[in-house]
Amino acid sequence: MKEVVTIQVGSFANFIGSHFWNFQDELLGLAEDPSSDPVFKNHSLNMDALYRSGETQQGTLTYTPRLVSVDFQGSLGSMSSCGSLYNKVASAPPDVITWTGNVSTHAAEPRRRNLFLQRLHEEEQEHLTPVDGVNDVRNSPQREIQDEDIVESLENGVQYWTDFSKVHYHHQSLHELNGLWMDAQEFDNYGIGRDAFSWALRGEEISDRLRFFVEECDHIQGFQFIVDDSGGFSSVAADFLETIADEYTNTPVLLYSVRDPASHTIHKSQKQTISKKLHDAVSFSRLSSFCKLIVPVGLPSLSQASPYLRIEDERPYHCSAVYAAALHSISLPFRMEPLGPTADSRYVSGAVDINGLIQMLAGGARRNMVAILDVAMPAPYLTGKQVGQSLLGNLQTLTPEIAEDVEDLQSVESMTIHGALGSGGHRASVSDVKDVVNAAYEKAMTRPMFCNLSVALCPLPIPLPFPKIFGNLVGQHGELLGSPVNTSPLRGSLDIHSIPLAGRLRSSSAVLPFLENRLGNLRRFGTQQGAAGADLVRRWGFGMDELEDMGETLSKMVVELDPYSQMSSDSD
Amino acid sequence: MSLRVLNPNAEVLNKSAALHMNINAAKGLMDVLRTNLGPKGTIKMLVGGAGDIKLTKDGNTLLKEMQIQNPTAIMIARTAVAQDDISGDGTTSTVLFIGELMKQSERYIDEGMHPRVLVDGFEIAKRATLQFIEKFKTPVVMGNEPDKEILKMVARTTLRTKLYEALADQLTDIVVNAVLCIRKPEESIDLFMVEIMHMRHKFDVDTRLVEGIVLDHGSRHPDMKRRAENCYILTCNVSLEYDKSEINAGFFYSNAEQREAMVAAERRQVDERVKKIIELKNKVCSGNDNNFAVINQKGIDPPSLDLLARAGIVALRRAKRRNMERLVLACGGEAVNSVDDLTPDCLGWAGLVYEHILGEEKYTFVENVKNPYSCTILIKGPNDHTIAQIKDAVRDGLRAVKNTIEDESVVLGAGAFEIAARQHLLNEVKKTVQGRAQLGVEAFANALLVVPKTLAENSGLDTQDVIISLTGEHDHGNIVGLNQHTGEPIDPHMEGIFDNYSVKRQIINSGPVIASQLLLVDEVIRAGRNMRKPT
Repeated sequence: MKEVVTIQVGSFANFIGSHFWNFQDELLGLAEDPSSDPVFKNHSLNMDALYRSGETQQGTLTYTPRLVSVDFQGSLGSMSSCGSLYNKVASAPPDVITWTGNVSTHAAEPRRRNLFLQRLHEEEQEHLTPVDGVNDVRNSPQREIQDEDIVESLENGVQYWTDFSKVHYHHQSLHELNGLWMDAQEFDNYGIGRDAFSWALRGEEISDRLRFFVEECDHIQGFQFIVDDSGGFSSVAADFLETIADEYTNTPVLLYSVRDPASHTIHKSQKQTISKKLHDAVSFSRLSSFCKLIVPVGLPSLSQASPYLRIEDERPYHCSAVYAAALHSISLPFRMEPLGPTADSRYVSGAVDINGLIQMLAGGARRNMVAILDVAMPAPYLTGKQVGQSLLGNLQTLTPEIAEDVEDLQSVESMTIHGALGSGGHRASVSDVKDVVNAAYEKAMTRPMFCNLSVALCPLPIPLPFPKIFGNLVGQHGELLGSPVNTSPLRGSLDIHSIPLAGRLRSSSAVLPFLENRLGNLRRFGTQQGAAGADLVRRWGFGMDELEDMGETLSKMVVELDPYSQMSSDSD
Repeated sequence: MSLRVLNPNAEVLNKSAALHMNINAAKGLMDVLRTNLGPKGTIKMLVGGAGDIKLTKDGNTLLKEMQIQNPTAIMIARTAVAQDDISGDGTTSTVLFIGELMKQSERYIDEGMHPRVLVDGFEIAKRATLQFIEKFKTPVVMGNEPDKEILKMVARTTLRTKLYEALADQLTDIVVNAVLCIRKPEESIDLFMVEIMHMRHKFDVDTRLVEGIVLDHGSRHPDMKRRAENCYILTCNVSLEYDKSEINAGFFYSNAEQREAMVAAERRQVDERVKKIIELKNKVCSGNDNNFAVINQKGIDPPSLDLLARAGIVALRRAKRRNMERLVLACGGEAVNSVDDLTPDCLGWAGLVYEHILGEEKYTFVENVKNPYSCTILIKGPNDHTIAQIKDAVRDGLRAVKNTIEDESVVLGAGAFEIAARQHLLNEVKKTVQGRAQLGVEAFANALLVVPKTLAENSGLDTQDVIISLTGEHDHGNIVGLNQHTGEPIDPHMEGIFDNYSVKRQIINSGPVIASQLLLVDEVIRAGRNMRKPT
């Protein structure tokens, strides 16, 4: 078993993370629940790869994500930054023992817990065993708070990512940036967050927390880093990544740079547009320079993403669920036990660790470190003649600004399919899935040079706090129905218990437009003679040399994918 | 109004409104912080929406916890926090001084005076005050053996404003000894060489100075000793884990045996490194019952730990980068980056290495070292917010001692300096100034009084009485400060109340700069957003 340490920086990254850990928590809960589907009981996925076991000073055992999360002060809503496992929040403020003089107490209005959190709280009081006491609660009708009400209240009232989180976090996990003295809206470009990491020993504090989790690992396989790169957090993350690259030189970093659809809004003034475009370019080139593989994630609109989903773009609660599901799929091979070439498992196949994945995608003959993320949510039936077409056709990309229908003979892919359904709605066995997918690739018009396939039997469990994003063509186990269910046009966690899912990372020249846009913008607004944004980047603290270096790195990335690119010509 | 032509959405505050916005913001911030000041101030407990508690009497911490929105207030707060970054203390005083300068100016401006004239007066007064502090400061000779008493007095003055007396006095000794421990002749003091470690355990009075290093992790092998006496310490930065990713080029193999062979070969390299360490251990420990500990900045995987444990070596992995430096300073020896050239000279030595376990948290103490140049302040407390507050106070105390050693001088505290400087400005400097800039000097002089006034106010004394009696004494040539208990004048020198010279100097320097900038604003322009929002 090799450990993964997860890092989430920025608001939207934490929204995704919250869903991600909810899935993990649901898997853990279902594995212990006697009434659950047997497929969850023995999934052959080693959760220790993502979780750590610990013990409080009182001797209670804990099992918490190996996670460092960074967000704004106040972004934790009603959750305490110390978590709830290691110190109980006292009901009354305790005595001040360090001062004998006057004490003035400034208490903020306690944040109201929403129905979902109230339920969690109640359950904990009942169990009195706080360790992952959350499992399948759908079948207990005597609760005071109805599931329907909870789902409804989450649907309408998620403000913080903690509002729908059912996971207990370790007290070292959650870090809030204090003393920024600005609104979240103002914290919107690379320059503004530039000193936030190094200011007043904060960087050391955060690195120390990371070290706490790394020190425990016997053999760390890598970091899974999710950053909301739409604003100042990308420079916080870049500085953080720099210290990671420095401190853990040989540990690979898999970086997801994610974006909320709201960050794609069209800006009115030209100044804002330039600032945004420069930010995108600078942020991408800085982030990519400190990791081994970067996966840009975040479409301007998800509402068209799949015919089976109904997603409202303006709700981070909705969009982040889709991204989290995709990240979950990609992370499955990291937790599978590697088997010898001849051994076969009934439950999983195709274990790859982070390093292996990165070598595969970015370390081949073509050194392209930018990968595209695709997902099929839910994955279609693996039966019938058109199976290949339908599976590959259903994969919807989540990476923005990429070219479609690109024929790239050198592309490399890594696909994970889990919980796929075969004929008659039965779960397809691992070997069947492999055969079907291989056959699909054989028949496909454009074929990648190499494709790694990982398969797991266990589908994606849908936890109670999950948005109603499924259309009425999706069945209880994620099967795609021929005719709509009549109940309601939107189905959520109460109707759908699990879904099959396929996620894919690919290294392909389809990402060229993404790179070219950034390179072009950097040149147009930054480095060109008399560029409109030259002043702006100077204020962000970049010299001309640095910008030109960035431009050069970007153009190298472009040339790697397209040796005859027009854009490379003026790099000198 | 020409701006409206350019941008119809722009909002403009005219001269007097802009000025009053600035003045009010400065006063507002001052009101938040004023009760903090001094040993009779009020401690603030902040309870967050989720029940998180922060305890602070430190202006710096308080400012960082506040969600300040007003641009003027942010500007002042940044200056004050920068004050703390530079000199380690004086955040509250900076905010108070800026606020008071603005408040004094308001009076004159309301009477129709132009801010420019006031600002000119500020400039003159500032220069005069900086000259005055050179004369006023009390020089302290820092030879090879600094005067411990004076260092203690400075540290105590700071600490007593943050913690109750008994604890402050206990910490005074700790911080002074810590700084003297890391001090090397002819070198500037690097306070990072004092490790501040905390344990949530027992009581605040159990806080102590460890001559040596406390690490916040332990060995990761069940068979390693939990306690070792007379221990050689090897400080290194060598990867002792099998690490496939080190090879970037990806290797190729055609069958399972080749793969196994490849893995075995790489594993062997790691084992070689471990063996070299074991060889060194056998060399220095054979024939005596000394022990051997390895503290590594990189990782050590279970097979390597196993080898080391069997050789009787205690091994810690992933030590903090800073601890590499600290360990060498505390134990001697040198930090090695490769195991190829290991000699006994690389080793440090500690009389005692032991592990302490609290729940899942492990601590390793490296103690009884010879000639330490690095040490650890181990803070204990029953809960996180108490620990955090003591930690802040310790940092301030350390800075105060460091400043004193580097300034080679101190300034009399308890408001004595402020009153002396004010009398100097009014009695001497003002006469030499031509014209209305005199009023600027006067405003500046009166603004200095904010410190003694606030001290008196926080002690529940009548500010007018106090100021009158103190200025009276000063006019008679007695340098006195305020006795917080009685309101009577006292001699700070006798009472041992001293402040840092550099802190005072910094306040005098930065306060008027910000105040002048804020006063000279004659229009506030902001496009598209409402700025009269309440703060």
